[in-house]
Amino acid sequence: MADLGRAALVTSFLLLVYALVAGSLAAWKGRRRLAESAQNALIGSFGATVVASAVLLAALARHDFSFQYVADHTSRELPLGYTLTAFWGGQEGSLLLWLLVLSGYSVAAVLTARRAGREVLAWVVPTLGLVGTFFAVLLVFVASPFATQAAVADGAGLNPSLQNPYMAIHPPMLYLGYVGLTVPFAFAMGALLARRTDERWIVATRRWTLAAWAFLGLGQLLGAHWAYVEIGWGGYYAWDPVENAALMPWLAATAFLHSVMIQEKRGMLKVWNVLLVVLAFCLSLFGTFLTRSGIIQSIHSFTQSSIGPWFLGFICLITAGSLGLVFARLPLLRSKTRLESLVSREATFLYNNLLLVALALTILWGVIYPILSEAVTGEAASVSKPYYNFFLHTFGLPLLLLMGIGPLVAWRRASLRALGRTFLWPLGAAVGTGIGLLAAGAGSSRIGVIAYTFSVFVLASIVLEFVRGTSARKALGGVGWPAAFSSLVARNRRRYGGYVVHAAVVLLAIGVAGSSAYQTVREARLQPGGSMTVAGDRLVFRGFQTRTEGNHRAIRALVDVYRGGHYLGRYRPGKNQYFAEDQVSNEVAIRHDLLTGGDLFLIADQVNSNGSIDLKALQKPLVNLIWLAGLVFLGGSLIALWPDAREERRLAERYADAAVRI
Amino acid sequence: MSRRGSPARLVVALSVAAALAVFLLYTSIAGGGTPTIRPSQLPGHSGRVSLMGVVVGKPAGDAHASGLRFRLRDVKGTALVPVVYTGTVPDLFRTGRDVVVDGRMRNGVFVAVPNTLVTKCPSKYSPKRA
Repeated sequence: MADLGRAALVTSFLLLVYALVAGSLAAWKGRRRLAESAQNALIGSFGATVVASAVLLAALARHDFSFQYVADHTSRELPLGYTLTAFWGGQEGSLLLWLLVLSGYSVAAVLTARRAGREVLAWVVPTLGLVGTFFAVLLVFVASPFATQAAVADGAGLNPSLQNPYMAIHPPMLYLGYVGLTVPFAFAMGALLARRTDERWIVATRRWTLAAWAFLGLGQLLGAHWAYVEIGWGGYYAWDPVENAALMPWLAATAFLHSVMIQEKRGMLKVWNVLLVVLAFCLSLFGTFLTRSGIIQSIHSFTQSSIGPWFLGFICLITAGSLGLVFARLPLLRSKTRLESLVSREATFLYNNLLLVALALTILWGVIYPILSEAVTGEAASVSKPYYNFFLHTFGLPLLLLMGIGPLVAWRRASLRALGRTFLWPLGAAVGTGIGLLAAGAGSSRIGVIAYTFSVFVLASIVLEFVRGTSARKALGGVGWPAAFSSLVARNRRRYGGYVVHAAVVLLAIGVAGSSAYQTVREARLQPGGSMTVAGDRLVFRGFQTRTEGNHRAIRALVDVYRGGHYLGRYRPGKNQYFAEDQVSNEVAIRHDLLTGGDLFLIADQVNSNGSIDLKALQKPLVNLIWLAGLVFLGGSLIALWPDAREERRLAERYADAAVRI
Repeated sequence: MSRRGSPARLVVALSVAAALAVFLLYTSIAGGGTPTIRPSQLPGHSGRVSLMGVVVGKPAGDAHASGLRFRLRDVKGTALVPVVYTGTVPDLFRTGRDVVVDGRMRNGVFVAVPNTLVTKCPSKYSPKRA
């Protein structure tokens, strides 16, 4: 079995090398049949990678402990679901997942994005082949998931933190995001290499970029929720290097999604867009590198491994190669038009881009600060939360504000008088909210009040946009409100999907501000029968309960919650002791308040031998809006992504013309 | 009216870049990061540091009362320092684990800042092979 897996990986590797070498040659010399054969090799490598993945899955399912990987990451008692998700629980398996997703994306993108033009596509194949070859080299020569050993009786088990339903969805989502950024990168490089620097490569990969970006965003929110319910410190984001590693490419991709609209509409920012794609892709490689190399300490990092230098080398190669290529093609990347006014839609997009990239770069600075300071002073110093929070406020709040301003400003040039009229309602709503919040005593956190005021402004401007668009369409078609509304959204999917995503970001901002700026934390040591209060809720500790289930022993504290004399229910924070893994994991208890959107978060911080407990209780207002934001984000992304026959026809006509002219 | 783009764009870009540079300089010099050091490097540091080492001996005491007491050793070395810690103890904390904790030296004891103890990943993630 392991031999089959190894053979499949070697086949995949050889096919990818062929796609790289033959594809480059074909594109360079303009050989059409060779290009097709390189493309077929790319498709074949996907098939071979699927076989390799199936072998690993089968070995996991059969508890075949002659596979080192299976023995290291699973045990006989591990439930089947987690046994299968152990596929990406370790380094070798997650590299295989990278290659699987990459080759899948490659096939899908190459087959569906023919609009980019044959010359561009001819260069896209070897670019994808290059990235694929890198991962195949790692899997074949450095970190094989198919290493064998004398079969052991039982495996080492899976890290308890990974034994959570989110394990089935969070890592694959992130990978779909990380790896998906390869597609726009490959097409950008293909366009540059083929000297086709018009916006066709952007249009051809638009949906792929959007999909990758949506996966990356959702993956992070799922990870945040996982951390919230599982890690058990009451937070959802800790500016951990590996969390940042996923946030940085997402920010760069967000900037890209906005700035491509300027290139499509006005032919500007060509160099900038290519640079953003390169940045996003390099950051996604860097993210994988951080997770895998163990170079920076993080809760996510696997132990020191041999693949770090490989990754670093590849990142340097990609960065240098793509920057060199951009530089060589600079004359072709001149803008056709210029920015006409600093008060225009283009200008707000430009500000948004600068802020997003600035935020991404400051986070990058924070992440690599320990490495840099060690290189300079010999002592690794790390920046902590205040650093990141400072920049999140400095760049994030203006970004939030821009989200409300942007949609209301006209393209090219906006008059201040027209702006005054448009902004009247949103501004009024925002100022009213600000005053109301101050009166209600929310002034304890200045940042919180600012965030809420901006949020209301953005929401009001989004609502205004929908109302204006719908009423215009209603007047045009003489139909009712619902029909006008759905036709409005259907005709401008990207625009109105984008607004829905903006609404999601606002919900996120409200949730984050509420649960961080206004949270209450209380700790106490309680004997059975003892009680404590947190933000008006009375908690009574009734004692412990212990039972053994499957692969662990569960200790639970029984905590009764009362509010104003009313019994709200019994909650059970505690700890699980895993036998095979010989580890303890915290199991928190959360009471959701659907009416207020807040959570009561209970942590059994320490279980004492004399029967007492050190109980930590957090009251986190509005935190559930963060998870609601995830759903809204998904909805907005789907609206923007949904296939649009009318748009397809329009684009087909436009590029049919272009093809004739060329 | 050069072809290189409007002056407005240049101004915006330059101003943001300048602001960014100032912020970075400010935080990296004045704001500063917390140095991460090993127990053997403790002499010579009087301020707050992040101490990284291996837990040696059986931890004793109560992290939610007078404090949990344990000793940290250089990951590759022999220098030892006693530590007293209060606050949440991570699930993965135990003898032999690599940990990082913030604090400062007082009378020969490293007094930790509450709730700053972090364990590095257990070797279970990817076992070492002989």
